[in-house]
Amino acid sequence: MAIYQEKDLRELKYHILTSARHDRAVRDLAGMLGMGVQPFRRILIERLDMQYLENLAGRYEQWEARGDREDPLDRALGRELFTSYLPMVEPSGMEQIRAEARASVEAGTPPSEAAARARGRLAEVLRP
Amino acid sequence: MKRVVDVSIPLGPVHPCWKEPARVKCETRGEKVLSAEVELGYMKKGIERIMRGRPWQEVMFLAERVCGICSVIHNMVFIEGMEAVSGITVPDRAAYLRVVMNELDRIQSHLLANFSYCYTIEHETLAMYLLNTRERAMDCMERIAGVRVNKAYMIPGGVRFDLRDTDRALLLADLAHLEDSVHRYGRMFDTGPLIATRSKGVGILMQEQARIARAVGPTARASGIAEDVRLTHPTYRKLAFTPIVRTEGDNHARIMLRFDEIFQSLGLIRQCLHDLPAGPIRGGGTCGAGETVSRGEAPRGELSYFIRSDEYGRILDIAIRTPSIPNIDACTHHMLPGVTSLADVTSVFVSADPCIACNER
Repeated sequence: MAIYQEKDLRELKYHILTSARHDRAVRDLAGMLGMGVQPFRRILIERLDMQYLENLAGRYEQWEARGDREDPLDRALGRELFTSYLPMVEPSGMEQIRAEARASVEAGTPPSEAAARARGRLAEVLRP
Repeated sequence: MKRVVDVSIPLGPVHPCWKEPARVKCETRGEKVLSAEVELGYMKKGIERIMRGRPWQEVMFLAERVCGICSVIHNMVFIEGMEAVSGITVPDRAAYLRVVMNELDRIQSHLLANFSYCYTIEHETLAMYLLNTRERAMDCMERIAGVRVNKAYMIPGGVRFDLRDTDRALLLADLAHLEDSVHRYGRMFDTGPLIATRSKGVGILMQEQARIARAVGPTARASGIAEDVRLTHPTYRKLAFTPIVRTEGDNHARIMLRFDEIFQSLGLIRQCLHDLPAGPIRGGGTCGAGETVSRGEAPRGELSYFIRSDEYGRILDIAIRTPSIPNIDACTHHMLPGVTSLADVTSVFVSADPCIACNER
């Protein structure tokens, strides 16, 4: 049964994400996760409400300026970015990915490689 | 045994407490709000798209129409952006008159915001007093610019109308009256026991949450963040402006901070009128090509315009970031979750002074 009072917001959300400032932030984030822009837009539309999307560029800029400053691995992974600034991943899921990356570094994997692998894992979690 | 169920309760888009259409969906357990989300799109104007390709003379009028409540600051930020890209300077007298108009606009906007809050918590007497007081601020602006809203008072290189000596005297008398009224109603709000029950400790926005959501204006300053674009504005720096900050972060703090900022604005206007230099109100100049980000402190917080223009002053690209975007975000995702009574959802939402027209520019 169709629920008539619920609007389909996908088109409106898409318009928000394609404005100049939002587009820059979306491209940066998609590049960080090694994903295409269009699939990443779809993830954003499905996981965040309209106001998160409207403020996406502001939240991203705020994270760039002051988020995940203490640990380079957290910064590379966007730990706070994807759990607090743009809450798209459960903190427990992020902690698991982070713990795996840290264990990998301790086992001798170069930090950049471990971070890249962890970002790939994060992209898998985000995909619908 | 009483059964506690999870219920999704939508408020709006048409709601007696909302000034504009917005839909807030609250996930609740009993009376407690667990999470909230906003649905918008009921009044999208697409004003940035309309502005592109038009000459600055047309865009100047469109900029004011982003928001009817804080139209002066949209005018000011756009014009200052055009002046920056074109190297146009403003005479001192005009710069001071701009501050006078901007602060009058802040006063009326804050009074309207506090009216809305009092109306929402069903203190209609105080609400109507505040709305009546706002009329005096509107009259002051009308006396200077000739109209109440969408004044287009600022133009590149100056302002459109000078302040006559007779109007200056009337303005000072009105400021005294406004100060008396706001002092009385501010005290009524601050000491009202029923108001305190609905306001103190309700809708708390922690400082860290405000930073994450990049909240701005009174919403951020009521949570202990001392940020205000006026600190970097050359005319305000001459006036030794310092922002007012509170640390409680609740509804009461946001409303009281607006009352305090009204007194501050009254002081700034008086200082401008006292120091108002003689001289022309228009410096002249031609708008040209360039790219800039112009910022200003709107009544609700930081407003910024990204502007790119060609050599004829036509707007090639423009992006407007209004303060309501982060503030509604902070309200929905940080203030509303944890509210212990569904009756407080409307008051918490209104305490952030959300402007849907700004949000859906």
